[in-house]
Amino acid sequence: MANLKEIRNRITSVGSTMQITSAMKMVSAAKLKRAQDNILQLRPYANKLTEILQNLSASAENSSEGVYSQVREEKNVLIVAVSSNRGLCGAFNASVIRKVNVLIANDFKGKNVSVLSIGKRANDYFKKTEYNIKASYMPHNPSSVFDDLSNFEPVAEIAEKIMQSFAKGDFDKVVIVYNQFKNAAVQILTTEQYLPVLPPEKDGESNAKADYIFEPEKEKIIQELIPKSLKTQLYKALLDSNASEHGARMTAMHKATDNAKELQKELKLNYNKARQAAITNEILEIVAGAEALNG
Amino acid sequence: MNLEIISPNKKLYSGEVTFVSLPGTDGSFGIMKNHAPLVSTLKQGTIKILQKESGKNKFDDESAEFKHSLKDDKELTFEVKGGVVEVNNNKIIVLAD
Repeated sequence: MANLKEIRNRITSVGSTMQITSAMKMVSAAKLKRAQDNILQLRPYANKLTEILQNLSASAENSSEGVYSQVREEKNVLIVAVSSNRGLCGAFNASVIRKVNVLIANDFKGKNVSVLSIGKRANDYFKKTEYNIKASYMPHNPSSVFDDLSNFEPVAEIAEKIMQSFAKGDFDKVVIVYNQFKNAAVQILTTEQYLPVLPPEKDGESNAKADYIFEPEKEKIIQELIPKSLKTQLYKALLDSNASEHGARMTAMHKATDNAKELQKELKLNYNKARQAAITNEILEIVAGAEALNG
Repeated sequence: MNLEIISPNKKLYSGEVTFVSLPGTDGSFGIMKNHAPLVSTLKQGTIKILQKESGKNKFDDESAEFKHSLKDDKELTFEVKGGVVEVNNNKIIVLAD
């Protein structure tokens, strides 16, 4: 049986780890609340924007094909991997990386794949692979967008850059891999086609028939709306991922705290057993000593 | 007619209105009941609305910020930097930036 001091030290160290994990859990819970509010507020905006775009294209006779909806042969593919800047959030980042690897190995097999990682975790991984896009590609470090997610501008810059490359023909297809936020405990790993813009689903509803007045001309409106909707889409993916990250970390830290509690309980039991054994030993010795004197 | 003003950060307004004035890219315009379907982009300016009924019940819970200061006003204004508006079937959606 391990000696008493050793066990006592372990109990203390497990206890302080537990304090850290439970503190991190609280912090994540608070951050989750904020991140969740952000994404839940953006969603109606993003959805309405898509709705308007759909109505627009539905009422169009010959849907005007912009640069961003051009479908080309997929030779050069860009995968945008959205991870987090920090670890300790369970399988959150690992699942993004795994998904990207699966995409490269299966869906985009034999194609020229580049990976743009947003978030240090994915970046650390992909910069060691041949797929990583050059750092000079971006006007700023893409991972820094997580420092201040309430700021739309840096995200818009990334979106613009991607749109430019697509328009120039550097990439024929762009997909985003990110964790969609469902609730605090559930993240859905999502792969979303970013470019070319998917044609809106025509659901044949009556509002599609509406004869709209356009001001200014429809082409101009579409030209303005599509980039806007693309930026919003990327921003939404980032907010989703951010909320998911905090959710995942909260769950991970909760589990860690539970494990620490369990471990501590076991150690305490061992400690008491060892202590009891030591006392019994001592009594035995005293009794034996007394017996010897009496004899 | 029903009006919703949504910005990326929050829902600014949702409720029944009788008149909306919007800063369109090609000039300011007003919308009243039974307006023809319309899509327009907006430039920087002021959105002015006349509420059908004023009072605390006419406000969306999500826009708690405006609840107190504006609940008694029949006329409300919002500043926007740009955006899009869609009018269809007496339902107006403003996506403000």
